Amino acid sequence: MRMHAFARRRRKHTKRTDPAVPPVVRLISISKSFGAVKANQDISLDIRPGRIKALLGENGAGKSTLMSMLSGRFPPDSGTIEIDGAPARFRSPADGIAAGIGMVYQHFMLVERMTVAQNVLLGQTGSFWLSPRAMRATVGALAEEYGLAIDPGARVDSLSMGQRQLVEILKLLYRQSRVLIFDEPTAVLTPAETGNLFQALWNMSEQGKAIVFISHKLPEVIAVADEIAILRQGRIVDEFLEHEVPSEHALANRMVGREVILEVDAQPVPLGAEVLRLEGLSGNGLEDVSLSLRQGEILALAGVAGNGQKPLVETVAGLRSPQRGAVTILGSDWKAFYGAPQKESWRGGLAYIPEDRQGLATCPDLDMVDNFLLTTRHGFSRQGFLERNRAEEQTARLVEEHDVRPPVPATLARQLSGGNLQKLVIAREFYRHPRIIVAEQPTQGLDVSATEEVWRRLLQARAHAGVLLVTGDLNEALQLADRIAVMYRGRIMDVIGRNEPDAVGRIGLLMAGLRKGKREDGTAGEGARARQGEDGQGAESAPGGAAR
Amino acid sequence: MLRVVKRQEPLKGGTPLIVVGALALSLGISMLLLAAQGKPAPRGLFLLWDGAFAHVHSLEDTVLKAIPLYLCSLGVAVAFRMQVWNIGAEGQFALGAIGATWAALHFPDLPAPLLLPLMFACAGVAGGVWALVPALLRLRLRVNEIISTLMLNYIGILLLDYLVYGPWKDPTSFGFPLTREFSPAAQIGRMIGRIHWGILLCAAVGLALAVFLKRTRTGFEIMAGGAGARAARYAHMPYGFLVGLVMVLCGVASGWAGSLEVSATLGRLQPSIMAGYGYTAIVVAWLARLRITHIAFYAFLLAGFRVGVENLQLELQVPHAFGGIMEGLILLSVLAGQFFQNYRFRRAEG
Repeated sequence: MRMHAFARRRRKHTKRTDPAVPPVVRLISISKSFGAVKANQDISLDIRPGRIKALLGENGAGKSTLMSMLSGRFPPDSGTIEIDGAPARFRSPADGIAAGIGMVYQHFMLVERMTVAQNVLLGQTGSFWLSPRAMRATVGALAEEYGLAIDPGARVDSLSMGQRQLVEILKLLYRQSRVLIFDEPTAVLTPAETGNLFQALWNMSEQGKAIVFISHKLPEVIAVADEIAILRQGRIVDEFLEHEVPSEHALANRMVGREVILEVDAQPVPLGAEVLRLEGLSGNGLEDVSLSLRQGEILALAGVAGNGQKPLVETVAGLRSPQRGAVTILGSDWKAFYGAPQKESWRGGLAYIPEDRQGLATCPDLDMVDNFLLTTRHGFSRQGFLERNRAEEQTARLVEEHDVRPPVPATLARQLSGGNLQKLVIAREFYRHPRIIVAEQPTQGLDVSATEEVWRRLLQARAHAGVLLVTGDLNEALQLADRIAVMYRGRIMDVIGRNEPDAVGRIGLLMAGLRKGKREDGTAGEGARARQGEDGQGAESAPGGAAR
Repeated sequence: MLRVVKRQEPLKGGTPLIVVGALALSLGISMLLLAAQGKPAPRGLFLLWDGAFAHVHSLEDTVLKAIPLYLCSLGVAVAFRMQVWNIGAEGQFALGAIGATWAALHFPDLPAPLLLPLMFACAGVAGGVWALVPALLRLRLRVNEIISTLMLNYIGILLLDYLVYGPWKDPTSFGFPLTREFSPAAQIGRMIGRIHWGILLCAAVGLALAVFLKRTRTGFEIMAGGAGARAARYAHMPYGFLVGLVMVLCGVASGWAGSLEVSATLGRLQPSIMAGYGYTAIVVAWLARLRITHIAFYAFLLAGFRVGVENLQLELQVPHAFGGIMEGLILLSVLAGQFFQNYRFRRAEG
């Protein structure tokens, strides 16, 4: 129903906009590399006033890199950014803001204990004396001009996520931004707030603002955008105007792609006993999650970030207790497994390779030996005393074996690059001979050879373990996993075998919240929306849980 | 124009240099403060030195003050190691003194080999329980331990006052707030000069804590828990137990300091034992940058300043608060000096 409303409004509004308006921002063959990783390659894009441009792409496709260059966070390696037809060089985000380009990030940057008006005017030069009433009036007038429903006198900590987003928007409008970039703006919103946001986007574009909407949610992109550009592996693979958008299905295929950069030979190995079992796990943003993992297989958990992967992983890894439902780890109940003395359980148990390598998996201010000891300390203690010398020798051996650079055990974790830190974490966790491995974005930020190395080790680990691979990189899931479970709003939508026909297309749809089969004729979007309405409870709690 | 530049690597062997420089700076400012009051600054400096370190008598005074300060600082440093901001050493010290006094007053006829261990046991339990309360409040109710330990200091001191003004007051004290003098068995004797055997306890506790923190698995967990609470939870360390443990360790160490004060220095309980060792211990722990092996030096140094300032008070009629001002100056200048470990000034070009 809501989709319908979106669609009608959009059509009415697009009639008024002329697609031939000269672009306010023009990106001309922009490229950017980080080390060996080509984040953006030869990207050209026009951003026109009064139009909403959607950038569609998976995690790691290069959307955020592109927009960071546009907003001045870092310069491109090559290519030009033209503003109003003249080439521009941004040295800092301040230059970007001065040129009228503003960005609404996923994580809001607001002072919670101040009012909306204070936040909007924060850091703005003006008279030394402040008049709260004048501030409220200024911000209130601005909000009215763009039809944003918000009370300028309200304190930010009393606002919902959607309202806070409006405050971020007001900040940009006050700074007279002509191009507003939204990075995954709906990730933190409830469906109703999403509707309000879209209304605000249309209002602003009608007033002549250029909007860039970054997302990987197909229905939203189709609902809101005037133009869609699809980014994959750092390149723009397709561009559509609103009226020439093919089916949602086609968009999903273009977004996910079929080409594979990295390939490994993942021959299945014989399956052993069940090592992990979840039954009806609910609460903490999860909805009735059940799955089973056996030794010898890799089960990937795919999905857009923030759809319940975090609470699921944290529950399995023992960082938060299950609210409802049963978790069985290596035959023991969750409580029994995590209550058991670690003297025995540190080895041959569950190893968690978290996404947050610095801070969760390691302490930045400790050296490699101490960080190695974090989870292996029970293997190096005798009568309560720690055998540091032996730990040091072992660390030196592992560091060499895993090619961690620099190979100096006295190096502090903070001095290691992300990739080398990950190697250290993996070396440590594999040293524990785990029978379950929970690997969360294990290759994020790693270069090609390091990625291959991690993949090889995960595949090898199947000989003695079951692997739960949480990844936003669909290629990774397809390369490694025997089965892929897709999460959406705290639920497992479906589990798909790697070799099932059209796995890619189906996973792409499931990630966007669309169930298999109900496709091709445009009714699927409505179906998905209606389903969300039914279990609105779950739909609303999932993003909220992620935000916490 | 000068610009601040980060050093390529930390200044090697620079710590003693920085400490000496910072001490000189804080002494210099102190002398300026003296001069501002119309006192002779050079003579003030001399009196400070003379009163604290120049004679056997003054050195003994300094060591006697350093003993309780050292024990409290050890405890504070262990808790701070885990980023548990226990500033309650003062109250734990008071409870230790109360616990020891309770044993001394109730079992005056026990022989020393029984009575002294009993007094230390009571002091340790009293101080430890006093420290465990804020730990439990933090773990169960998320009460900030800075507030709760500080508040418990006041309660502990008031409890001590109540006892010496009330039930434990010596009937023959002509109304002074004192307990009876302890029986000889409850008093720790002298070892060398006026320095009592308590100094051996200090050595034992210091050694035990250093070994504990450096060599044991639990010590490692405390260190790791302080370096990153999230990583400690990730590694399934018993975080709550560790918080309780460091608090109790601090409570026991501070309690023993209080016990030594009543048993060895005064031979009775009276309000004047609350000389602020528990607060100065925070300064000592920070100056030592929480390293157990460095605490003895700074405890001795700050005890010396306390004694020296008493001399200043006598000779130059400097106000009592001057000691606190000097302590603060030393802490600030040493902490500021540590900045230069990692940074340096460079003349900006152009």
